[in-house]
Amino acid sequence: MFGKGLIKGLEITWGWFWRKKVTVEYPDEKLVMSPRFHGRFELDQEKCIACGLCANACPNKVIQIEKAKLGKKQILIKYVMRIEYCLFCGLCVEACNKDALSFSSVIDMNQYYRGKVRLTMVDRPAPTPEEIAAAEAEEAAKAAAAQAAAAKAKAKGEEG
Amino acid sequence: MGENILTGIAAGLRGLLDGAGVPVLWNDVILMVVKVVVILLFITVNILWLVYMERRVCAFIQCRLGPNRVGPKGLLQSFADMGKLLSKEFTWNRYWDKVVYFLSPVLIFVPPFMIYAIVPFGDNMAAVNMNIGLFYFAAVSSLGSIILWSGGWASNNKYSLIGAMRVVAQMVSYELPLMLALLGVVMLTGTLNMSEIVNAQHGVWFIFTQPLAFLIYFTAGLAETNRTPFCLVEGESEIIAGPYTEYSGMGYSMFMLAEYASVMLISAMCTVAFLGGWLAPFGLTFIPSWIWFFLKMYVMIFVFMWVRWTYPRLRVDQLMGFGWKVLIPLCLANIFVTGVGMYIYRAIGW
Repeated sequence: MFGKGLIKGLEITWGWFWRKKVTVEYPDEKLVMSPRFHGRFELDQEKCIACGLCANACPNKVIQIEKAKLGKKQILIKYVMRIEYCLFCGLCVEACNKDALSFSSVIDMNQYYRGKVRLTMVDRPAPTPEEIAAAEAEEAAKAAAAQAAAAKAKAKGEEG
Repeated sequence: MGENILTGIAAGLRGLLDGAGVPVLWNDVILMVVKVVVILLFITVNILWLVYMERRVCAFIQCRLGPNRVGPKGLLQSFADMGKLLSKEFTWNRYWDKVVYFLSPVLIFVPPFMIYAIVPFGDNMAAVNMNIGLFYFAAVSSLGSIILWSGGWASNNKYSLIGAMRVVAQMVSYELPLMLALLGVVMLTGTLNMSEIVNAQHGVWFIFTQPLAFLIYFTAGLAETNRTPFCLVEGESEIIAGPYTEYSGMGYSMFMLAEYASVMLISAMCTVAFLGGWLAPFGLTFIPSWIWFFLKMYVMIFVFMWVRWTYPRLRVDQLMGFGWKVLIPLCLANIFVTGVGMYIYRAIGW
């Protein structure tokens, strides 16, 4: 019959009128991101050993690391990501051996000024010469103690 | 209870002026000015609400939420838009016919406003109870096409001219079925007075006795207000808003708001002619008559919007063919059948 299609069209739009809306009102409610979502980076400072693998893995040279030696240990002084160049490929996260670098689900990284875009994860003062000396001395003492213990053990073994 | 609230206010005002010793002539003038101002305010508020409603209905049909940020539930969105449009720069172009160009958006509101004066918003609530109401409606509403045409012509722009020519072609073609559809109602009632037409529907609304006329009126009304599926006049994807191409700011918004004014007008006339006007269905007379009128009018407006967001646009040749080859013959057939039916009923003695 003529006009059937017209009525069918009206029926469809009537149905959609009452359906639940798909809009997410962003600032008030937020979507739950999947666990594999590439959001803002997070760095676990305790786990990081300042090896620099992430910086090497990055194709865009986003990650800038400054590190210092404290005795035999390497510590992280500065860890800056120039997010404006980042393409969120995730190679740095894959490269991390210690699982220190990871993605979070935070998506709002936008800033008003370009300079504020870069993400500074770690920025602490470099160790002073005294601290370095103290760490070295401590390590030397430890090494000496270990040597002494080894020598003692060896002597014991020879005795026995 | 609320039935006489508006007529009561008018009567009270008249009494007050009488008591103050105002001459009868001045009394009438003051009362008429008050009525006109009330109608102007009523239309303005309704139009702003309709812009908001249109966007909400459209959004809901498209599974979105629509404007909901400005004010509670986004109700102030239209006011914000108005403010933005009012503050826009006033541009000049030396190719325009300036007088006509700036007159058109001003005049576009005149025909709808003139017709609202005779619409009976409730029992005994027409500002002017005119004997030739429907004829007046037919005469004045056809002025709109001239104003749109002059706007498109004065813009001195190809797209505006094509749009303006489409306005004239479409409006003139569809005015015919619109009026011929109303003629069926006029034949049944034997009057052109709107209040009497409403009062003739006490037993049964004319949508049931004249269903074909109702459908034709509705279709022609869509075309008359230049709304989708007959929005060839604007044709955003083809001729860039037609006669409005060169308009910006308040000039454009006047045209846009006038569209809503005429949508409301066509719905109001539909309510009067086919949906029983202010008459309460099922004997629900405790709800005041003017509320019934608005309910019916808004149902019609909703259907207009619903249709707009359902169907795609027609082609020009389809539009003209449909108007002249389908609607007008159907109208004439309807008039013929109505006339024959009336004689048969009269012969039976109903």
